Amino acid sequence: MANGAIGTATATTGARVVSEDDVIRVEDLKLSFYTTLGVVRALNGVSFNIPRGKVIGVVGESGCGKSQTGLAIMRLTPGRIEGGRILFREFNAGEEIDIVQLDKNGPEMRKIRGNHISMIFQEPMTSLNPCYTVGYQIEEAILLHQTQDKAEARRRAVDILRKVGMPNPERIADSYPHQLSGGMRQRAMIAMALSCTPTLLIADEPTTALDVTTEAQILDLMRELQHEIGTSIMFITHNMGVVAQMCDEVAVMYLGRIIERAAVDDIFYDPKHPYTISLLRSIPRLGVARGQKLESIKGTVPDPYSTVPGCPFHPRCPAAIPGLCDAVMPDEVFVAGSRTHTVRCHLYT
Amino acid sequence: MDTAQKNGASGEILLEVRGLKKHFPIQSGFLRRVTGYVKAVDGIDFYIKKGETLGLVGESGCGKSTTGRTILRLLDPTAGEIIFDDPNIGKVDLAKLNRAQLKRVRPNMQIIFQDPFSSLNPRLTVGQIVGEPLEIQKVASGQKLKDRVAELLQEVGIRPENMTRYPHAFSGGQRQRIGIARALALNPKLIVCDEPVSALDVSIQAQVLNLLEDLQEKYNLTYLFIAHDLSVVEHISDRVAVMYVGYIVEMARTEQLYYHPKHPYTEALLAAIPKPDPRKRTRPIKLPGDVPSPANPPSGCYFHPRCRYAEEICKVERPPLRDIGGEHWVACHFAEKLQLQGITPLNEIPLIELPRRQASVSATTTAATQIPHPQSLSSQV
Ligand SMILES: Nc1ncnc2c1ncn2[C@@H]1O[C@H](COP(=O)(O)OP(=O)(O)OP(=O)(O)O)[C@@H](O)[C@H]1O
Ligand SMILES: Nc1ncnc2c1ncn2[C@@H]1O[C@H](COP(=O)(O)OP(=O)(O)OP(=O)(O)O)[C@@H](O)[C@H]1O
Ligand code: SF4
Ligand code: SF4
Ligand SMILES: [Mg+2]
Ligand SMILES: [Mg+2]
Repeated sequence: MANGAIGTATATTGARVVSEDDVIRVEDLKLSFYTTLGVVRALNGVSFNIPRGKVIGVVGESGCGKSQTGLAIMRLTPGRIEGGRILFREFNAGEEIDIVQLDKNGPEMRKIRGNHISMIFQEPMTSLNPCYTVGYQIEEAILLHQTQDKAEARRRAVDILRKVGMPNPERIADSYPHQLSGGMRQRAMIAMALSCTPTLLIADEPTTALDVTTEAQILDLMRELQHEIGTSIMFITHNMGVVAQMCDEVAVMYLGRIIERAAVDDIFYDPKHPYTISLLRSIPRLGVARGQKLESIKGTVPDPYSTVPGCPFHPRCPAAIPGLCDAVMPDEVFVAGSRTHTVRCHLYT
Repeated sequence: MDTAQKNGASGEILLEVRGLKKHFPIQSGFLRRVTGYVKAVDGIDFYIKKGETLGLVGESGCGKSTTGRTILRLLDPTAGEIIFDDPNIGKVDLAKLNRAQLKRVRPNMQIIFQDPFSSLNPRLTVGQIVGEPLEIQKVASGQKLKDRVAELLQEVGIRPENMTRYPHAFSGGQRQRIGIARALALNPKLIVCDEPVSALDVSIQAQVLNLLEDLQEKYNLTYLFIAHDLSVVEHISDRVAVMYVGYIVEMARTEQLYYHPKHPYTEALLAAIPKPDPRKRTRPIKLPGDVPSPANPPSGCYFHPRCRYAEEICKVERPPLRDIGGEHWVACHFAEKLQLQGITPLNEIPLIELPRRQASVSATTTAATQIPHPQSLSSQV
C-alpha cells in the first residue's frame, strides 16, 4: 500500500496544503524559552493552516507545544518568537496580516484579540477576573464590540450563559468566579469566548475538566455555533474521542513539530506516522478487544532542555531505521496519491 | 475477561458493603454550628469478588473517592457495614474496628491515588517511599528491606538504581508506578485505585493500565477501580457500578451494563462518551439542569428532575437497588419496562502496515513490517 509513497512527492520545500481561503496560515514558527536551566525550544518550525469555517484538531502528548502554538497566535505567549510567520485573514480574499510583525500590546493586536480571535484557556482562572461578576465580564466584551445598549448586552450575556448549559443563567451572571465550581467556571469562560462571535476560536482543552455529560453538551453547542456563525476553530485536546467527534482535520504534534496532518477520517482510518498509529492503538476502544492488552508507546517524551538528533521520535519508534532516523530529520511530505495528507517520517520519503 | 472465568465458578466475595453512609457536617457561623450535611455517600450496597475488578463510575462529586476512602477506613463511616474477608482473621466488619485492630487488617488493603505529582512525599527518596509501609509494619529492615524495595521497583518497571532519587526526577507515569510499588509492598489483597490514570497522557495511561492488569494476574489482586473515563473502565473492569449523587444506581457485568443499560442515567452517560471514531458521530441525550448537590438532593429518585422517563412516583419514592436477574442491579422504578440504548461497538482501528526502508536511501523492499505487538515493546523505563 504505502510503498508507492517512497521516493515520490518529496518537494525540497516540504509539503504544504495551501488553500486560498485560510483564516490562519502558520509558517515555520519557532518559539523558545530562555530559562535559568537552559533553553527550551518549544516550537521548532510549526507550519499549518486553518481553513475558514473548519474545525482543526491539534493533538499530541503533554508538553509538545499545543498551548504555545495557540498562545503565539494570540501573541500572549511568554516565550520568544524566533522566526516564522502567522498570517491572519479576517475574511475571504481579505488582506493578510502577519501577526508576528505586530506589536503584541499595540492597538491592532488588541483589536484582533477582542474582535476576531478569541481563546478558551487551559486554566479557567487566567481569563476570568476575580473582581467582577461573570455577567459583567461578558457584558463588557459585548459592549466593546457589538452593541451600545446595556440592556441588550445584559440580555445577550444571560442568553449565552444559558446556551452553555448553565442551569440558572440570571443567578450565574451575578456570581463572582470564585463562587462557581470548576466546571461552571469553564463554561463561563466558554461563554465569554463565544460572546464576540469570533472569526477564529482557539479552544485549549476546553472540556478536559468537565464531566462527560457536560462535555458532550458543550461540544454540541460549539458545533452548533460553528454551523451558525461559521467560526473556524482550532481545537487543542489530547482526547482522541473528542477529536473524532468534533474535527474536520487534525494536526498531530510531537516535540514542537507537526508530524502528521490530514482529514479526520484519514487520521483514524489511514494514519501514517508511527507515533499517530501508536497513539490510536493505546486508547481503550469501547466494545473492542476487552481483556486484550493495550498498545503502549515505550519510554517517555525527552526532557524539554535536550535536543534529539534525527527524527525526534526515534528513541521510542518501533519502526526506526538505524543510521537514518537517529541522524537525519525527515522532511514533511505528501502521502502518495494525496494532496491533503502530509507526514514527517523517513518511511514515506 | 469474564468474571466467572477469572474466579472459577465459586466467585468468593472479598468485600461486601451494606448500607454504607458517609455524611460530612456543614458548619457555619461563629459557633461553627452544624447546619446540615453533605451526604457524600448515602446508603450504598455492593460487593467485590476475589480477583475481580469492580469499576466505579459517576460524575465529579458523586462520592466515588469518599466511597473508596471510607472502605479503607481512611474516613470513618456514618453508618453501614464493610465486611472484608481478611486472609488471617476471616470476615470482619471494618466499620466496627478500632485503630489497633485496623492496623492488623490494613496491610491487606491499599490505595493508589490520582495525582502522581502530589501523592508522593517530595522529601523522601523513592526507596524510602516504597519501603515505608514495610518499616511501619516492621516486616523488613536493613538489607532485607532494600532487596524487597528493589524487587518491587523492578516489578513496576523502574530500575532499582533509581532508589536513591527523589520523586521530582520522575515523569508522571513513572511516579504512578512508584505509587503502585508502594501499594504492593505488603502483598495486599484489595487495592482501591482512585483515578490512577486520569492525570496521565494516553500513551502513558496504556502503560499503567497494562501494568495493573499484569500485577492483578500475577498476584490475584482485587481492584476497586474508580474513574470517570468510561472507556478505561470498560477496558479494565469485570463488573461496573454507576454512582449518582451518593447512591449506586446500577451495577452489572461490564458487557451487560454497556450494551444493555437498565438505568436512564447510565444510558445518558454512555451516550455522552466521545467515541474515537469519526464515522460514528453521536449526539448526547440532553440532560436538563445540573448534577444536584449532595447537601440538598431532590426528593424521590435523585435523578428525577433530569430524567426523561420520570413519572409521578419518581418524585416521591426513592427506588431501591434491586437485582432484576443475572446479577444486574438497578435502582429505577421502571427498570424492566424501559427500552434503553447501550453502546454499539466501534470499528477496530485497522492494523496499519508500515513500509520497510533501509538505511541506504535507494533501497526499498516490498515487505511490510507491522508495528511490533505491545508485548515486545519493553515497558522498562
Ligand atoms: N513559561 C515557560 N517557561 C519555560 N518553558 C515553558 C514555559 N511554558 C511552556 N514551556 C515549555 O514549552 C513546551 C510546550 O508547552 P505547551 O504548554 O505548549 O505544551 P502542551 O502541548 O500544551 O502540553 P499540555 O498537554 O500539557 O497542555 C513545553 O516543553 C514546556 O515545558
Ligand atoms: N472532607 C469533606 N468535607 C466536606 N465535604 C466533602 C469532603 N470530602 C468530600 N466532600 C464532598 O462530598 C462529595 C463527594 O466527594 P468525592 O470526592 O467523593 O467525589 P468524587 O466522586 O470522587 O468526585 P471527583 O470525580 O471529582 O473526584 C462532594 O460533594 C464533596 O464536595
Ligand atoms: S522517521 Fe524513523 S524514527 Fe521517525 S517516525 Fe519515521 S520511522 Fe520512526
Ligand atoms: S426511577 Fe423514575 S426518575 Fe428515577 S431513573 Fe427511573 S424513571 Fe427516571
Ligand atoms: Mg497545553
Ligand atoms: Mg474523586
